This record gives sequence, structure tokens and C-alpha cells, in this order.
Amino acid sequence: MNQAPQTFREYWQETLGRLARYPACPELDPVPLRSTAFATLYGVRLTSVGPYRLFGYLSIPTGTGPFPAIYYSPKYQSVLEIIPQGTANLIRSRYIVFSLAGRGQRNADTPYAAMFPGLLTEGIDDAATYVFRGIVADSVRGLEFLSTRRELDPKRVAVVGNDLALITAALTSGATHVVAAPALFYKTADLAAKTQTYPLEEVNDYLRTFPARAEAVRRTLAYYDLLAFAPRVAAETLLMAGAPGTLLGGQALKPLVDAIPGRMTVHESEHSTYRDGLYAEQWIAAQCGIGDLQSILPEHWRD
Amino acid sequence: MAKTVPADYQCRVRKPDDFDAFWQDVVRQAAIPLDVEVVPDPLRTSDDVEVFEIFYTSLDHVRIACWYCRPTRRAERSPAIMFLPGYQMDPPIPKEWARKGYIALSVAPRGKLRSNRQFNPGYPNLLTHNIVDRHTYAYRGFYVDTWRGIDVLLSRPEVDGTRIGVVGSSQGGGLVITTAAMRPEVRAAAAGVPYLCGFMDAIELTHTYPYEEINDYLRRHPDRRTEVADTLAYFDGINFADRITCPIVVNIGLQDNVCPPETGYALFNRIGAGDKQLYPYDGHGHDGGRARHGAIVDRFFAQHLQSGQVSNR
Repeated sequence: MNQAPQTFREYWQETLGRLARYPACPELDPVPLRSTAFATLYGVRLTSVGPYRLFGYLSIPTGTGPFPAIYYSPKYQSVLEIIPQGTANLIRSRYIVFSLAGRGQRNADTPYAAMFPGLLTEGIDDAATYVFRGIVADSVRGLEFLSTRRELDPKRVAVVGNDLALITAALTSGATHVVAAPALFYKTADLAAKTQTYPLEEVNDYLRTFPARAEAVRRTLAYYDLLAFAPRVAAETLLMAGAPGTLLGGQALKPLVDAIPGRMTVHESEHSTYRDGLYAEQWIAAQCGIGDLQSILPEHWRD
Repeated sequence: MAKTVPADYQCRVRKPDDFDAFWQDVVRQAAIPLDVEVVPDPLRTSDDVEVFEIFYTSLDHVRIACWYCRPTRRAERSPAIMFLPGYQMDPPIPKEWARKGYIALSVAPRGKLRSNRQFNPGYPNLLTHNIVDRHTYAYRGFYVDTWRGIDVLLSRPEVDGTRIGVVGSSQGGGLVITTAAMRPEVRAAAAGVPYLCGFMDAIELTHTYPYEEINDYLRRHPDRRTEVADTLAYFDGINFADRITCPIVVNIGLQDNVCPPETGYALFNRIGAGDKQLYPYDGHGHDGGRARHGAIVDRFFAQHLQSGQVSNR
């Protein structure tokens, strides 16, 4: 089922409505250990739907803004990173960086501690209570929070992540650019049947154990399919596709590309974190008007 | 194009005079009952692979979790692979290794998800937890947890204890080095883009996390640099490398932005095994050429663990 359910709009309106009932109530505490001459780091606590208290890292460059921003939406792993592993720390001198732990990830794991694998199918047989309904709300709340920062240049805000980056940009304003690497919510049920690799294997495990719930799982996943969100994505988008010929390669993602109305670039993986990573860094820098990219690249990526 | 990397790079780390005595004492302290608990996981079990959670006791009586997979159709005693995780990785269920015919153990050393009830310094933080004291530094127990994984495999009746391999990348690659060095039962090892090697060089060669945790610490405590370097010398994979005698393959990415390739070269040059092979991948970062290298690792383990003719050690 790759068409949006009839109640797709209502489902997400209700989710965002619930979120709106809870003010974020952010608390910022400096983290001197991770602060440098070029950036100050804060630990941020804020409330999402539930209510549930989340945690994120906010890094603000030294100097007078406004600055472009990168928002790292919640990842599919237990660990929350300040910046992604392998990213030059100096990136924090040019961008405001905000990374958020969704409910269940480390630092946001009380009262709910997510398991990996396990999170993807937590409550998946009921769209109303599926765990990702809350995590999507968390991700939206993160972007809302970032948008309130006075140091921010609202014309240069990139949301970077997996499927959640695209979903977040579709559900709320504030993202001018998106870098998304689909992994969880593109034709999930169909693609899971074609792989034995996690995280999609979680769906196979679940359906093998609970075959009678297959239709309910498909119904839930339909509310999360990127194809359903695509028409709402207005931000300029870089889609990080898998390698050619793979489950999430450029050809496989073509229906998604065609469905997104905003300006779109597709990069197919070259099986190299260097080449793929450099492409993404260059793209973000170009979009955000960063002129001297070399100085904020990892040492081994510089010319 | 990114800069070239000297293949004869020398890391500055020196082996402490009491290095062997230190680890001998730690191993002695860890000589406690394993208390293995095996719990079937029907949710993750499929027609071709049986999945279990295993729990065991390690140094300081910390309980360690791991995933354990075995092919449904297997010989009475099968070769085994121990998979060791990356720094931020949640230890995966190693079904793919089981599908290749191995009993597969995927260890979650202390602090990882499912092994963090008694010890949980967090991420970032693990790398610098008690970094001025080798007797309580985070990796003291962390290393032992992986070595004890070999004991778990040896305790299983379906494992052929003469055909055990270890594999991992990044932190997993570093742990492969220390495990192969300390456990003579390891008959073949594949270390990818090894982390935990040449620490004090790495923090100058790159400024990315996780190594950047040490730079953060030293910026805050510059007076502790000597103590930090002294501690890390006991945990540096380069100082374990000369003890490795089993066949080993190492792959590195020449544009690795996480584990500098210079440290990979320095490590490889210090490995004691006669049967060793380095695969440097130009145009690759922390993936270490995984897409091409995976088949090489498969052939390597098939040759050393599945032929029935194991190497003499």
C-alpha cells in the first residue's frame, strides 16, 4: 500500500495538534567540556507530545550571527551524537548545529528506553499508538525549537537525517533544505520482503511471529510512507540514495523523486563514505553560502 | 584529491615496561565464573537461523549481553565468528554470519545497550572515562568483555574451538586486534579501519569524534596530558599487535575521516603474524572499501575456518 490513507491528513493534524498542547519549555545548560573557542555547546531539554522530555545538543558558533543551521533529526540508533561521527568539529564554527534524541534514545530514555533492533516495530500494529508517531512529533518539536533561536538565519536551515528529515520538513515550516537518506519508511513492507538486513528485517521478524497482523502493519506503515509526505516537501532537497541497483538506489526512489515538488538533487551512493560524505558537505555548504568549505572538512578530505 | 598517506608512518606510542604484567594481572582478576545464561529469542529466529540472547559475567562482575546465532542446519561442531561492535553502533544480530555457516556471537561490551545496567559512562564520554588511571579506565573492562566472549564460544558444545575467528570494523577492528593478541584460540582475524590504535597521533591527525573526545578532555585539563598518554599506552592496539600470530587481514580507507589511515599503517607494520595482509582502499573513508572488501573477508574466513585445516600457532 503506497497510496496515502484517506485519513492521512487528519492523522498528522491530530498528532501536531497534540504536540501543540505541550509547550517546549526548553532548558539550556552549557557543556564546557565540549565547548571551544569557536563554538559553545549546550545540553537542551524540551518537551514533546506525551508529554515526554527530550534531550538534544545545541552548538552555537562564536561571533555575531545570523548563522546557517544544520538540524540533525533523530537517528535510528541508541547513541545521540553532537555531530555525526567523522564530521570535522570545525563545522560548528560556521553552522548552528542541533542534534536531537528522539524518545527512547540515550539521554531521552526515561521512562522509555528503546531497543535497537526493536524500535521500528514497537506498537506497529496500531497506527494510533505506533512509537514513531511520537518520534515524528519529537523531530518536529526539535525543528520548532531551533527556529526560535535568535542567532539563526531562517533562510538557511538544513534538516539532515534519514526518513525523519523528509517527514519533518513535510509536516512543519522552518526547513529551507533537506538532506535525507531513506532507510525506514519508503515502501517499507514491500522492501522488507526483499531483504534480510536490519532494520527492515525487524518487520520480517515481526510478521513471521504475528502473521495475522500483516494488514494492520501495512495500514500503519501507510501513514509513514515517504511517498505520502512527498507532495508537502517544499524545501530544496538532496536525496542520498543507495548504490545503483540496490533496494533504495536511485531507480527505486524515482517515484519519490517525481512526487516531491521542490527542487531536488539525487546522489546515488558510490559505496564510499568519503565520496558520498564529501558530496553532501559540498551541497550543504553551497546552499548555505559557505565559501571556504575546505577549512571545515575533515583533514583527510581536504585538497 | 585528498592528500597522500605515508605507508611507513610511525606512531609515537611506546610500550610501557610493565605492559604484559599489567594485562596479566587484569586477566587474573577476570578469572571468575562466566555464569552463562542462554535465552532463546523466538521473535528473531527464522527457518534458517536460530537466535539467542546470551548473558555472561565479566571483570568486576559486570553482566554482559550478546546476540548468538546458529544455522539451523549445521554440523555437530561448527566454526565460529565473534563480531565486535563499532563505538556508537548498537551490536547487531549476526544472522548474516550464521547464514554463511558460522556460529556467530555479537558482543555488547559494558556500557553498550543491554550491557549498561552496572556501567554506563555514555556517549560521548566512554573514551575518556577515568582516562588518567589505567586501573579503572573504561576500556580495561571493555577489552576483557570481548576476550571473555571467546570463553563463551568455547563453552558451547556446537562450537569447534579450533576454528574461531574474530571480525569487526572501527572500534570493532581495534577490538579484533586486542582479542587476537590476547586469545590464542583465535585462528583468523579480520580488522577493518581499526580504532583504538595510535591514540595520541590520531588526535592530532584528525579532529572528528570519537577521537575528538580526548581533545575536548585535554583542552579542559591540559595539565593531565602526560597521564592521559601514559594510560592510553596500555590500551593502544599497536602495543598489542606484536602478540598476534594468527592469520590476519586489515583494511583501511586512505581518506578515513574517523580513524586516520596513518595509524592503520603503523598498526599493520607492528603485527607479529607472518600471515598478514593489508588492503588500503584509495577513494574510501571510514567504510574502508567495505563493498569490495566484504568478499575478501568471506574468502579469508572460509579458507582458515571452513576448510578443516587450521593454521598452526
